[in-house]
Amino acid sequence: MAATAIEDRNRARAARRKGRRDTRMSYLLLLPYLLLLLMFGIFPVAYAFGLSFVDTIEMVFYGVSNYNFVLTDFRVPQAAINVIWFVGIWVAITMIGVAILSLMLDTVGRRTAATLRTIYFLPGAVTSSAIVVLWLFVLDPAVSPFQIAWHAFGWQNSADVITGIGLAGVFSIMAYFSGSGGWIVVFGGALSSLPTEVLEAARIDGANRFQLATRIKLPMIWRSLVLMGVLSFAGGLQLFVEPQLMGLAGPQFAQNDWSLNQMAFQYAFRMGDFGASAALSTLLVGSSIIIALVLVFATRFYKID
Amino acid sequence: MHLKKLAAIAAGIAIGLVTASAAMAQAVTLNVWSDTPRLSMFDLYGKTHENTKLNVTTVAPADLVAKIQLALQAKSEIPDVIFMSDIGYTAQLSTRRSNYLMDLTGKVPQKTVDEFYPNGNSPCYVNGKLLCLRNDLAHMIIWYDKPLLDSLGAKVPTTWDEFQALGDALAPKGYVLGSGVESFPLLAFLVSDGCDIVMPVDGKPDTVKIDLTTDKCLKPARMVDHMIANGSLTKVGPFDPAFVALAKAGKVPLMIGPTWFGEYVIKPTYEWAAGKLADALPPKWDDQSQPLTWSWGGGTYGGWKDTKYPDQVVDLITWMAADVTNQTAAVTFPAHKPSSLAWGERLKTDAYYASSDVFDVQVKAADYSHPGYATLRFSVSDAIAKITVQSIAKGGTVEASLPALQTELTNLAKLNGYTVE
Repeated sequence: MAATAIEDRNRARAARRKGRRDTRMSYLLLLPYLLLLLMFGIFPVAYAFGLSFVDTIEMVFYGVSNYNFVLTDFRVPQAAINVIWFVGIWVAITMIGVAILSLMLDTVGRRTAATLRTIYFLPGAVTSSAIVVLWLFVLDPAVSPFQIAWHAFGWQNSADVITGIGLAGVFSIMAYFSGSGGWIVVFGGALSSLPTEVLEAARIDGANRFQLATRIKLPMIWRSLVLMGVLSFAGGLQLFVEPQLMGLAGPQFAQNDWSLNQMAFQYAFRMGDFGASAALSTLLVGSSIIIALVLVFATRFYKID
Repeated sequence: MHLKKLAAIAAGIAIGLVTASAAMAQAVTLNVWSDTPRLSMFDLYGKTHENTKLNVTTVAPADLVAKIQLALQAKSEIPDVIFMSDIGYTAQLSTRRSNYLMDLTGKVPQKTVDEFYPNGNSPCYVNGKLLCLRNDLAHMIIWYDKPLLDSLGAKVPTTWDEFQALGDALAPKGYVLGSGVESFPLLAFLVSDGCDIVMPVDGKPDTVKIDLTTDKCLKPARMVDHMIANGSLTKVGPFDPAFVALAKAGKVPLMIGPTWFGEYVIKPTYEWAAGKLADALPPKWDDQSQPLTWSWGGGTYGGWKDTKYPDQVVDLITWMAADVTNQTAAVTFPAHKPSSLAWGERLKTDAYYASSDVFDVQVKAADYSHPGYATLRFSVSDAIAKITVQSIAKGGTVEASLPALQTELTNLAKLNGYTVE
């Protein structure tokens, strides 16, 4: 009896030691990431936070003057509304579009699905700046392959198309096509790892493909969908390339203060006001973090079933 | 005898070595940021000036201000001399927050400054100080297809009323007289009668006048609205594929454009055949004694105020903008008059143009350059794109957009530290 007690104690100790070793190992494996996160993620944010309270010319404490300047700039409220519209449209079409396409791909043959997934991914492999230029052609009825569609709406030139769809809509479409392919690949992986016995059981119970997708698969991947929403939201707030490059379609389309990130760029690189730029960036990061936290806690994202 | 000779030779060599090393010691290196078309000009300076070496970096024109801001912030790699492709850069690089440009007042010989075209250096003066020298002019003139206009039995308009009447006559036949939505031509129309669309006020530092409610603004605005409505001005910009197709098809007998349009847009993009293109003075309003013409572009040279070699910097800038040999080979119309006269010789014998006075017309038109073509810390054309062009695209008019444009420009001016009158 005594012998088994000692044995138990030894076993527990060994397990604890192993556990500690595992923890140490996982930290070691995480280290390169943590270092990079510190250097290129946390440090710049902290630096910008500090800079936002400083006059960058005299390098003196400036109080909330930078925040005051940003919040009284007449362009900022409009830019915020623009970005909210964009994020709203884009996140909505991304979540709905990616979910529908992924679930549909999961019902076709494996080889067809793989081919289609690769095709969906291709636009995402092109840099977003190139996508913008490409879309500027697609949106111009004079050269667009969708000329018939634009003419059907009565749109004769690119200005008609852009005002017709709205800039927020145009940027959402551009961003959807460059970003959705990657997510479709991710969800392909998520769907193929669903337990086959559950799907088998559902099928035996008489569920058709549609019911299988909406009643069984969707509830099992919704958490990944939320994650995609959160990440897209954070990315969307930083919208920059699409409006910045609109000027390429002609100076009459130039939009240099459409989004908040463009405003931050204008402050720093047109006006040389790095303090104001840092203040606006801090506000952006702050709202991103708050909204992400709300979403994570509201959906009990990290709760394990 | 021999010894003396030897000594003389030795002394000669010694002196030679001393002067050579002195010259070596004087040779300075200037860091230059240039765009691509100006590279050969900087190269020529380096070859003809042995005491100055140039370390030239090519910078994308649109990135210039951002890169200077970064260099100033980092306090390293700040260039000594820059080429600025946008006239707004001069104002943007001479603020408290981005205090880069050297004051050239009194440093460039007055005689050289006087040799520039009237108002040629208007984008270089900020609060009375000369902060740059202009490389090229880009004033608006009339470009037209001579054989086509003749076959239509039309005459080149000399007043804006005639311009509008020509549009009325030709629009039903499917001809257009240019674009009504590109911000620069639109701005050029709006200021043609002296409209105060952000004009610097003389003698008052950082003060601008913005008043779009006067007849001087409403008249041109109504003309553009009328011409867009009847189709004689297009609702697409001059680089839009739809406009290019019209121009190639011979549907644009005449348009208002900057001096560089002939060589760099009409010839390569619109592909007009040789023997067609001619130019004429910009139109004037009935109440004007002479035309008042806006510009579209024209680069400038500036220097760093804290450079180690101010004399060499001023010499380089002056040479780049105002050396006749150098500017004769320039790509666009030099702002320095003696240089431009030498530069224009080749246009007189160019068989591409339908008349031999193409260059003389441009020289004469330069005298009508708008004195208010100034450098500003914000972009008026971007504001026009944002407010007026979008209003036109939504079916509105230029006239109806003017109050909103005035609000936008006033807000922008105040935000950028100007006093608005």
